[in-house]
Amino acid sequence: MKILAIDTSCDETAVAVTENTKVLSNIIWSQASLHAKFGGVMPSLAQRMHEEHIDFVIKKALTSAQCLVPSVDAIAVTVGPGLAIALGVGINMAKKLAKKYHKPLIPVNHIEAHLLSPFARGNSVQRTAYSKNSSIPYNLSAIRYPALGLVISGGNTQLVLIKKIGDYKVLAETQDDALGEALDKAARMLGLGYPGGAILEKFARSAGSGQAKYNLPIPLTGDRIKNRFSYSGLKTAFVRLVEKEKPLTKEKICDLAASFQDVAFKHIENVLSYHINHLPLTINHLLLGGGVANNNLLRSKLRKLLKPYKISLHTPYTKKLCSDNAAMAGIAAYLKSLNEEFTGADKIDRNPNLKISE
Amino acid sequence: MEIIKQNTKVIAKAVNVLKEGGLVIFPTETVYGIATDATNPKAIKKLNTYKKRPFGKPYSVAVSDTKMAEEYVNLNATARNIYKEFLPGPVTVVSYGKHKLAKGVESETGTLGIRISSHPLVGQIVKTIGVPITATSANASYMKRPYKISDVLDNISEKQKKLIDLIIDGGVLPHNEPSTVIDTTMDDPVVLRQGEIKFKDKNEILSRSEENTQNIAKELFQKYENYLGKRPIIFALIGEMGTGKTQFTKGLGKVLGIKEEIVSPTFNLVMEYGKLTHIDAWRLENPKELETLGFLKMIEDKNMVIAIEWADRVIEEIKNQREHAFIVWVKIKYLNTDNFRRISWDII
Repeated sequence: MKILAIDTSCDETAVAVTENTKVLSNIIWSQASLHAKFGGVMPSLAQRMHEEHIDFVIKKALTSAQCLVPSVDAIAVTVGPGLAIALGVGINMAKKLAKKYHKPLIPVNHIEAHLLSPFARGNSVQRTAYSKNSSIPYNLSAIRYPALGLVISGGNTQLVLIKKIGDYKVLAETQDDALGEALDKAARMLGLGYPGGAILEKFARSAGSGQAKYNLPIPLTGDRIKNRFSYSGLKTAFVRLVEKEKPLTKEKICDLAASFQDVAFKHIENVLSYHINHLPLTINHLLLGGGVANNNLLRSKLRKLLKPYKISLHTPYTKKLCSDNAAMAGIAAYLKSLNEEFTGADKIDRNPNLKISE
Repeated sequence: MEIIKQNTKVIAKAVNVLKEGGLVIFPTETVYGIATDATNPKAIKKLNTYKKRPFGKPYSVAVSDTKMAEEYVNLNATARNIYKEFLPGPVTVVSYGKHKLAKGVESETGTLGIRISSHPLVGQIVKTIGVPITATSANASYMKRPYKISDVLDNISEKQKKLIDLIIDGGVLPHNEPSTVIDTTMDDPVVLRQGEIKFKDKNEILSRSEENTQNIAKELFQKYENYLGKRPIIFALIGEMGTGKTQFTKGLGKVLGIKEEIVSPTFNLVMEYGKLTHIDAWRLENPKELETLGFLKMIEDKNMVIAIEWADRVIEEIKNQREHAFIVWVKIKYLNTDNFRRISWDII
């Protein structure tokens, strides 16, 4: 099943072509590329609103996949959660194409797409290129349900019980800042720019001992039932710590970055292990998605945590599948199409507050 | 419209015009005011048309003395102290009203601002007519403060001019500030507008915890809730990272009965929760982007409560909407002690 997928849920204008779980093309028009193109002039939100370049991105996605709209079987589009005005651009475009070419339109939940992103397979060339840092693409049937899903990005932090594809229960989600946002903001406090989660990771890796040097409070250790995440308190503690440590040297920045990451991840580990221990179910698989899934320290911490429970960790095969993209929407649409019928393109509308479960 | 110089006959004339529901422009110890009979609904309607005031913004009224004030408002101990100390003088004291005036004079929550002017003319007019008269400034809403008659006439339309029945010309007034407005309906008096007489501004509260911050949001909302429906309310939140701007918004969510978890909108820029819209300006590269987020559309909804984090990044864009929205500027600051914050607020 060939799908043309569009995701304009926030900053990125993303279009992809997928065939079943294989990614044929995955084009992202990000602020970073704009930045380069306009020689340092930051794009305005009007450009973020995707209208100006969605046609171009669609064309590029089709060209890279060597296909045309008439030859796809369906069009998938992210309907939420996200920024309403941004979502609208993608949805309108998807509706227009679906109508013009008489294709079924499949609405996709952005969080579900992140959640299912580990199912994506690259073409053989890509597989070789990325095999070092990613889990080996596996057969769908290898996953046994119920499984766990962890979506951690700039906008979301959720631990989800996957009863089966399409049937989810949120076990814990953030009540204030998302983990990705917290990492980005910590980077900013250290003068590393924004968004700086990836740079923060680099600096943390250079920290002297590899150990967290500073004491920061692990969020919500008092929660008896660990059904939420919180990063606002840690953020505040970090603001104060950074103020105290000023002026910052490179060494201090590395140590601060390492300490922040360590505590931020420990919170994830605590909540995760609570649920593994308390769920009256046997879990064998954890799917990890979202931009923070790119963080190697987090991946190794999770593997270490999961090992004694014989739970295997599944991450997207390439980093491009972690941050916002449309290939994951194409994969999610395909997986859902196996169980669901999709009708009534007119009924599809943006839903900025869309949840993954009732 | 008739313009007369201030003289001994002017009082009788003004009283006659007021009794017939007319509008009179007169000098006070602060600026030129516009008076009409506050007990006459038709007169108030006429004044609304003249002022082009968004309906629901109450008028303060002038009375002759404390005794007359007590016929129209309930004075608590705080109010009494202020009356004793500062009135007659350029202070407007807000108390709970007794609902004896025309509709639109008291606020939606039934509060009423009272003035006892130290200008002899006003006192005599009120004494003679025997009912409170409006004591609002003679300019149309949000226009220049009038210190001379031409300040008024040069800034209004012919249509507005026709609504004026009498102008008492007292020459050029000293450029005094408008009256200080002080609300005595809460436990502590709250200064709603600082004028010539400066009260220690108590628009600040100590927050000891996230729960405290949420609760202060709730109280501030309730304080200004009466504007909702007439205009949207914007809570423009200013504070460093981690001071609790999202916590404040969570408090607004609670008082508005929003069931969803209110989370940081940094990534999404805008989160909508029914009657509450939550914006984060932190990632905006250009303040103008606030408009491309649909800000102008949001404030068309007069029932909307809008919380804007990092409002200091879009100050002008928010200020530009002050005619269309009621704006509460909330500043949250870290204190040196542990987890304490000082939360202060201002309305323009």
